Amino acid sequence: MEAIELKNIAFSYGKELILKDLSASFRRGEMAVVLGRNGSGKSTLFNILTGIQRDYSGVLHINGHDIKRLRKGSKDMLRIGFMNQFHQTTFPFSVFDVVLTGRASFSKFGPSKGDRERVEAVLESFDLLRYKDKPYTELSGGERQLVLLCRVLVQDPDIILLDEPTNHLDLHYQIAVLDNLKKLVHKDKTVICIMHDPNLAFQYGDRFFVMGGGKLKSLDGMSKAAIHQVLEEAYHVDLSSAVIDDKMVLIPKSKLWV
Amino acid sequence: MYVKISMLCLAPICVVFLSLALGSTGFLSLSDLFRYTYASLAPYLGQEVILQDANMETILWQVRLPRVLLTFMVGAALAVAGGVLQAVFRNPIVDPFSLGISSGAAFGAALSMLISLIPLNLSAFVFGVIAVLITYFVSRSGMRGSLVTMVLAGMIISGVFTAFLTVLQYLSDPYKLQAIVQWTMGNLHTASWHKVQQAVVPITLGLIIIIAFRWKLNLLSLGEQEALAVGVNPKIIKLIMVGAATMITASSVAAVGMISLFGLIVPHISRMLFGPSNSIGVLANISIGGSFLLIIDDFSRTLLPFEIPIGVFTMMLGTPLFIYLMRKNAINWNG
Repeated sequence: MEAIELKNIAFSYGKELILKDLSASFRRGEMAVVLGRNGSGKSTLFNILTGIQRDYSGVLHINGHDIKRLRKGSKDMLRIGFMNQFHQTTFPFSVFDVVLTGRASFSKFGPSKGDRERVEAVLESFDLLRYKDKPYTELSGGERQLVLLCRVLVQDPDIILLDEPTNHLDLHYQIAVLDNLKKLVHKDKTVICIMHDPNLAFQYGDRFFVMGGGKLKSLDGMSKAAIHQVLEEAYHVDLSSAVIDDKMVLIPKSKLWV
Repeated sequence: MYVKISMLCLAPICVVFLSLALGSTGFLSLSDLFRYTYASLAPYLGQEVILQDANMETILWQVRLPRVLLTFMVGAALAVAGGVLQAVFRNPIVDPFSLGISSGAAFGAALSMLISLIPLNLSAFVFGVIAVLITYFVSRSGMRGSLVTMVLAGMIISGVFTAFLTVLQYLSDPYKLQAIVQWTMGNLHTASWHKVQQAVVPITLGLIIIIAFRWKLNLLSLGEQEALAVGVNPKIIKLIMVGAATMITASSVAAVGMISLFGLIVPHISRMLFGPSNSIGVLANISIGGSFLLIIDDFSRTLLPFEIPIGVFTMMLGTPLFIYLMRKNAINWNG
């Protein structure tokens, strides 16, 4: 069974039709990457998948259940963890306390000892344990993003939705984050990432989609030449392509070089 | 950490004894306090103790003790309510007063004083709820999510209920008028066992609910989407928390009138001493809120030959803090 299935999704913001007749499916144990230009509707799709945006037409099935009919927090619902692009907080909570809130759906009242141990473990896996007691508000943008990712992962979600998980991060952390996500994919989780860098996407992704014209185009089964052409059209830039370590690499050509 | 926690437990006990000892009729030493306590407990132990100064004993049990207990409860309730509202609305400058709850509850209570159709506590609670609901929806209809809008909306709603209250004052006879005016300034000198009995159930109940769910306040203060992101629907817990905070505020207002800005000050002191986590913050607010209001009340009782209304005192303390927070940029205006 597909973990997530979208059928004929349409969504408009005011008079502007952002998604039209969008259909796609995402499987367990796979990392799907959504590429596309800014404002193409990727974040709208993201909000629909997370359940934040519910004013769409069409059907969204998660694990075979229509998400509109499921109550939030019901047993049939798979745990969906997601991370937005940016987040501001008012109070200077410690990093540990911020990540600990990721366990909130597991207990009615306070956190258990096991919850605390899981938080330590996830911080350890990103080498962030030394920041444990540091105020979250004093971290850099990239560090905050890592902490928020830890917070999403500590709830042990079945489906992980990430909107640009690697922006704000240096190369070291980009690889650390994607390696960690890949490990989760091997544990049969479903990971969907919106990404901007096609090269980084091709290094890690299992399946690829390009958002454009309100639809999600799958790159499944396409030849490298065809993918090249689709991406040139999607981003409106000329690209040079090469194959390194059996992965496709694309380099944009500046319009000034001609 | 253990040192801090034991301080939280010890401080209120010391302050309670100090406040029992102080008063316009004279200072009692610790040994006096024990003597009176023993004298009152003795009959239950099958003994008879006859005191020379029975007047003082009456003052202690009928005047000072209910006042001290009521003051502690109200202080704890207002501080906790302030901390909860700041966390839920992710806004360090809100408190029961600035969201209009206090004014709404004050109007409700005054209404019940004039036309006694519904009980005082209930009337205060109902109008407190109405006020906070209006504030919430008015602020949502404007610039969404802005922290300033919420406070502005609260101020306006507060103004409206104060206006209604003025109308009630205008309509009421001089005897009742005096009672209402004194009570809007926050008066603890009318404390009695009857008032303690009326306030103890709703305040204790509200505090227990808030203590039980206090950890979830951390989640709420990260924001609604961040709660959804880890699989929690924030609406229910938000409703429980704001409901409980409104209940304890309304009961406090019904018992002693308006004590402005107290609910703003104490959560900031707690955060300075114990950090921002609400797990400890709620407990700190109870201890510090109760003790601090007792100390303020001790001053207002003993500083001058006449009593300064406590609401006036807290307003004078709260204003500089508010200005300090604004200057320090501790307030995130764009939230």
